[in-house]
Amino acid sequence: MRSWEVGSRRLVRRSVVAGLAAATLVTVAACGAGGTTSKSTSSGTAAAGSGSLTVLVEGGGHGELQPVADKYTQETGTKITFVELPYDGLYDRLNSELSSGNVSFDVAALDAVWLTAFKDGLTPIDDLFTDKVKGDMFPSLLKEAQTGGHFIGMPAWTNAELLFYRTDLFNDTAKKTAFKAKYGYDLVVPTTWQQYLDVAKFFTEDSAAANGGTPKLYGTDVKGKVETEWLATVLQAGDKNVVLDDSGKVIINDAAHKKALDFYTQLATKDKVTPAGPSQIDWAAAQNLFNQGQLAMTRFWAHAYTQIPKDSPVYGKVGVAPMPAGDGGIGAIPGAWYLSVPKATKNSAEAKKFIQFAYENNALGLSTALGLAATKSALQSAAAQPGHENLNPLITTLGSSGTQPRPANAKWQQIVDTVLVPMIQKAVDGNGTDNQKLLDDAKKQIEGIVG
Amino acid sequence: MNGLEIRRPSTRTLLWALLVTVVVLYAFPFLYLLLTSFKPPLETLAVPPTVLPSRWTTANYAAVWASHGVPASFINSVSTATISTLLSLVLAVPAAYAITRFRTRAGRLFVMLALVTRMVPPVAVGIPLSSTINSLHLLDTPTGLAIAHTTISLPLSIWLMSSFFEAVPDELDEAAKVDGCSRLGALWRVVIPVVSGGMAVTAIFAFLASWNEFLFALLLTSVRAQTTPLAIANFQTQFGLDWGSMTALAALYSIPVILLTLLLQRHIVAGLTLGAVKG
Repeated sequence: MRSWEVGSRRLVRRSVVAGLAAATLVTVAACGAGGTTSKSTSSGTAAAGSGSLTVLVEGGGHGELQPVADKYTQETGTKITFVELPYDGLYDRLNSELSSGNVSFDVAALDAVWLTAFKDGLTPIDDLFTDKVKGDMFPSLLKEAQTGGHFIGMPAWTNAELLFYRTDLFNDTAKKTAFKAKYGYDLVVPTTWQQYLDVAKFFTEDSAAANGGTPKLYGTDVKGKVETEWLATVLQAGDKNVVLDDSGKVIINDAAHKKALDFYTQLATKDKVTPAGPSQIDWAAAQNLFNQGQLAMTRFWAHAYTQIPKDSPVYGKVGVAPMPAGDGGIGAIPGAWYLSVPKATKNSAEAKKFIQFAYENNALGLSTALGLAATKSALQSAAAQPGHENLNPLITTLGSSGTQPRPANAKWQQIVDTVLVPMIQKAVDGNGTDNQKLLDDAKKQIEGIVG
Repeated sequence: MNGLEIRRPSTRTLLWALLVTVVVLYAFPFLYLLLTSFKPPLETLAVPPTVLPSRWTTANYAAVWASHGVPASFINSVSTATISTLLSLVLAVPAAYAITRFRTRAGRLFVMLALVTRMVPPVAVGIPLSSTINSLHLLDTPTGLAIAHTTISLPLSIWLMSSFFEAVPDELDEAAKVDGCSRLGALWRVVIPVVSGGMAVTAIFAFLASWNEFLFALLLTSVRAQTTPLAIANFQTQFGLDWGSMTALAALYSIPVILLTLLLQRHIVAGLTLGAVKG
């Protein structure tokens, strides 16, 4: 009797637990529990309107647009839902949805290099580019935003590489004296390639002398695992295009590309002012080397200025300047993200309205983690504020005639992955490589890709 | 004396050294991930890298758990993997039983074709699958994603279950029939209890296939059903790599499968050795 009762109770208990588990599973299975997405929230009074928009962004990218989305919801009542996907996967998702014509989003934040590849699936937004809008855009972004004679993306925020330097080292009286004695001019933040090289050599040799021949502080770094920094050097060397000219002809083996590759590699191979293993240095590694206090200077994306950890030995000791100029002046590759509307969305009118609103409120992006915006007026509005010391150099760099976008070619990413990065890695590793031959070989490979 | 027993101390020492080396080599990447998750942000990508944290901190865990969408992504991963595992077993067990008991040419062809589908790269079926799931109105739901994951795990499940059923003599089914069972009754009451270890192995493989899957989750989920592998990858952006958060979430995400494996270890061993004692 007793065992029957115990067994019955156990059965009931098990049934209840199983039933609850099944009910939970069915509910979650049907609806999902939510993921790495966020909705705009507004405590303000929503205006009339009950629409919603889905915005596809890179992982973490919603942060840049969240203030705009919140304000948009507050003013229009339209809810904004962000779908975040990892950078590497975002391209695959866009490719899959735009090619199938079955999209799950109304607006997409696209990396500049993807615009050409996806142009057939995107709605032209020429009507948003009034003369006033164009006048507030940097020329390189205006060029990059259009393909096939139509504007298909509105810049939401932009980055560019700047020169980061250690103010404590540059302001050190003993180092200033030693530098002047050695090079015959004052220790200043480099504005030319030659100054950059001199300063890098000085700090490397100074550290080596103090540490028994092995430097603990290097003058700078060279990034072999990424291509953008070398492309910026090409523009500084005087070319107005990188790798491909405006007609699509491969120009990677011309004199400016050779000069840029020679300068880029000599830092690591001849002058040895960079840490060992440059072919494996990418953005994350370089940023960390600088933040750990192992570099006197680095060329890096502007946003990094606001992201130096408080426990870093260089926190509060970093200055920012435009990239050093070569024969072609200051030059950089803009790293912009664009808001675009897929042709397949049924919410096209509302999507364009949101993009226009984002443009008009572009300065809101300056208060976010990246602290970036895209328009001249937005960047200028905060340039004088403490904590935004990176904005004036960014404005100078983006406004320079040497700053140009990457080629508008649908196969650009393939060119980067299969030709440019391997070539740069071979070059910075040294081992007696002939830079002109590397560039000639690269030209043949790229011609094979672009046809 | 057991022929496999090794008595010479030098041989035993050598084998132990080899064993420890292999285990360390296998375990080191995970151990490094675990240690990195306890490092302060600046140290996670130190050049040169450090193995042990200079200062232990749980800040990465606190930060990652507070990240929006992370707890929800865990729930989605659990429900998706559970549904996919159940679907795989429900479909694979009768299929494998029929193949092994009826032994037709079509059955053998079916097993072969099922295995061939595993050779197709998932990216090739991504777009058609996305359209199909959309037609079923199951996009961005754990059920839709679980169905997609089942296309990955089902062929292997059928193949595994077939080998486990092969190890069970037909006489067992015959005896059940003599005792009054139907074909399905024999499967349910007699054969399935015998291959329960094999089913546990199959379930673990199906669960892991879904638990770790990335591509279909990327293509088929948006707002409500994103799984943790996507959440982990989201910490790598074009402008930075939050290595601390990434490793902390990866470590947390590993715990359920490690516990599951430990919990079912006995069944796994029994299941894996089932085919070895055939006859």
